[in-house]
Amino acid sequence: MPRRLASSLSDEVLEHVFSFIQSDKDRNVVSAVCKSWYEIERWCRRKIFVGNCYAVSPKMVIRRFPQVRSIELKGKPHFADFNLVPDGWGGYVLQWITEMAGAYPWLDEIRLKRMVVTDESLELIAKSFKDFKVLVLASCEGFSTDGLAAIAASCKNLRELDLRESEVDDSSVHWLSHFPETYTSMVSLNISCLGSGEVSFSALERLVSRCPNLRSLKLNRAVPLDKTANILRLAPQLVEFSTCTYSAELRSDVFSNLAGAFSNCKELRSLSGFWDVVPDYLPAIYSVCSRLTSLNLSYATIQSPDLIKLASHCPSLQHLLVLDYTEDSGLEALASNSKDLQELRVFPSDPFDAEPNASLTEQGLVAVSLGCPKLQSVLYFCRRMSNAALVTIAQNRPNLTRFRLCIIEPKTADYLTGEPFGVGFGAIVEHCKDLIRLSLSGLLTDCVFEYIGKYAKKLEMLSVAFAGDSDLGLHHVLSGCESLRKLEIRDCPFGDKALLTNAAKLETMRSLWMSSCSVSFEACKLLSQKMPRLNVEVIDERGPPDSRPENYTVDKLYIYRSVAGPRFDMPPFVWTKDEDLALRLSP
Amino acid sequence: MGRPTSSSSSIDSPNHFAFSSTASSQRDLTTDLRLGLSISIAPPFVREQWPPMKAAVAEEEHECNSSTFYVKVYMEGIPIGRKLDLLAHESYYDLIRTLEHMFHTNIIWAEAEMDRDHYEKYHVLTYEDKEGDWMMVGDVPWEMFLSAVRRLKISKC
Repeated sequence: MPRRLASSLSDEVLEHVFSFIQSDKDRNVVSAVCKSWYEIERWCRRKIFVGNCYAVSPKMVIRRFPQVRSIELKGKPHFADFNLVPDGWGGYVLQWITEMAGAYPWLDEIRLKRMVVTDESLELIAKSFKDFKVLVLASCEGFSTDGLAAIAASCKNLRELDLRESEVDDSSVHWLSHFPETYTSMVSLNISCLGSGEVSFSALERLVSRCPNLRSLKLNRAVPLDKTANILRLAPQLVEFSTCTYSAELRSDVFSNLAGAFSNCKELRSLSGFWDVVPDYLPAIYSVCSRLTSLNLSYATIQSPDLIKLASHCPSLQHLLVLDYTEDSGLEALASNSKDLQELRVFPSDPFDAEPNASLTEQGLVAVSLGCPKLQSVLYFCRRMSNAALVTIAQNRPNLTRFRLCIIEPKTADYLTGEPFGVGFGAIVEHCKDLIRLSLSGLLTDCVFEYIGKYAKKLEMLSVAFAGDSDLGLHHVLSGCESLRKLEIRDCPFGDKALLTNAAKLETMRSLWMSSCSVSFEACKLLSQKMPRLNVEVIDERGPPDSRPENYTVDKLYIYRSVAGPRFDMPPFVWTKDEDLALRLSP
Repeated sequence: MGRPTSSSSSIDSPNHFAFSSTASSQRDLTTDLRLGLSISIAPPFVREQWPPMKAAVAEEEHECNSSTFYVKVYMEGIPIGRKLDLLAHESYYDLIRTLEHMFHTNIIWAEAEMDRDHYEKYHVLTYEDKEGDWMMVGDVPWEMFLSAVRRLKISKC
């Protein structure tokens, strides 16, 4: 744009134009055009996403963006889901809430993932934001039903309360009853993580009956089966629903009541829950199956024949989560019935058993890759795999964007040839040019990393475990993967050399996690000195790394870029290069 | 890398430590290998937190950590079931005693003796194994039963 024209457009016009630009990436580009665009843009940015809550401080965000309405924050690294991050590591949201309470009175959306949220934080949210609408706490912890009661009591315009996969302490408060009788605005409620004591069924029924805009309801498993029908009759407009426990033996009156209730729900598109479902009850949902786009059966211990029958009723499925009880036969049926399938996740029913308890092999995945032309996202746990199958999958489905394979026994080789999986995963990264997420497993040498570095140019997140022979593996990834943002590694022989050689790369990424690898504390200190805008955290509960022998390798290492400098809430088992103990304050 | 692949993947997982710590000191190791049970060999490294699954999915399925193993128990005719911690029991006799107390009946299992004239006072104890089959309780060694059992059912004779 010619300079004359750029300066002649008024601020109001530019602001109006910018309001059509929603994506963060585009907004960031816009703000880099010139100083005046930076100024205009920062005053009208309404939505902020902070992928690592320690990458920036709340004060810095508030200083740059004074009028934010919606914020999303992520705390602990992904491997915290698998208990690799010790309790007390960090991710506390209180300071953010405190700062925003003063600066953003009109904040109406808070979305948090893997953060520690206290009742105090929830009470502060309830008190500070008059028009609060959306609260999503995904995989969070540290709060109880007391905090939920505060939210329920004060947030008159709350539309969304989603506690997915969070850990909530039961304070015995009937928090649902704290929604006043005048409250009618709920659109989306997800309380599937709550225990049995934490939901008063009658309060829930009253809430559902007075919220006509309720579209998504995910209940916890303690709600009994006969009550499900009541809820559905109160909310036939539901689009998403999570059922409760089915484990009683079939009773025909309960069944027909349930089937009747489901048949009223013409808008239902997504079903989940199904804990302990008794297969005899499944036909109760057949009336909605033809419209279902999303089905989560990952808690349902039903066997392949019942799953095949169910799948045959669901031709519109786009997202399916299921246990390996579905077996290859179930996936073959899926491949022929569900041509719109975009996402498949198959979980192991018996993850800790050496022997397979279900006949699920690589064949199931190959069938789906062949039969489902829109398949983009795969998460697959299995016990055997071959390079040939991976090559076939890659050739069938070059449109894959997310491919996460977990061969359950670490370092398992190709069961046909005994070879490592370099060729197979190499084919995946070569053919799937838009691949943004990849998880590796099985027997892997440095060879696979060479392929990844060479081909995976759009890859943003890579997960590696029990793989590689030497630092060269890590070096290939860090030097080759141009779009890499998150790298998480465990139990690999990667050490100092690759890290120090590629130190600059680390500042272009959000974070790097390495646990049970071969990195020395010396290298960590060196890296930290070289790269002042990286926080290099050594997580080691065994004691001060400085006091350990020369050849000691750190237990866990978390490196992330930050403009906020070292954090002030590090627990005693996190070691950095700074000897300044004043930095160690309790949260 | 030198480790045998058969029956070794579950060595390090927490819920199998409970089975092996009492069993392996008394039993023949080759029997364990043949039966496919997990045994406790000191590994060169402990493979914790594998496979990478979120706690909710893994634990819901097993409800089994190193100190408890709860299974559901249903009695025929009663829709509401009970839950029982199998690891709180040392043997079949222990388990039968608890069940007889919990359900106020006499339990028939592989080693029970029954008064055939009064069969209506007895219930048969069966369990669902990993293949989905219902088997009479008591035919296999206790530890093997623990690794196979999914749930229990008490049926009328």
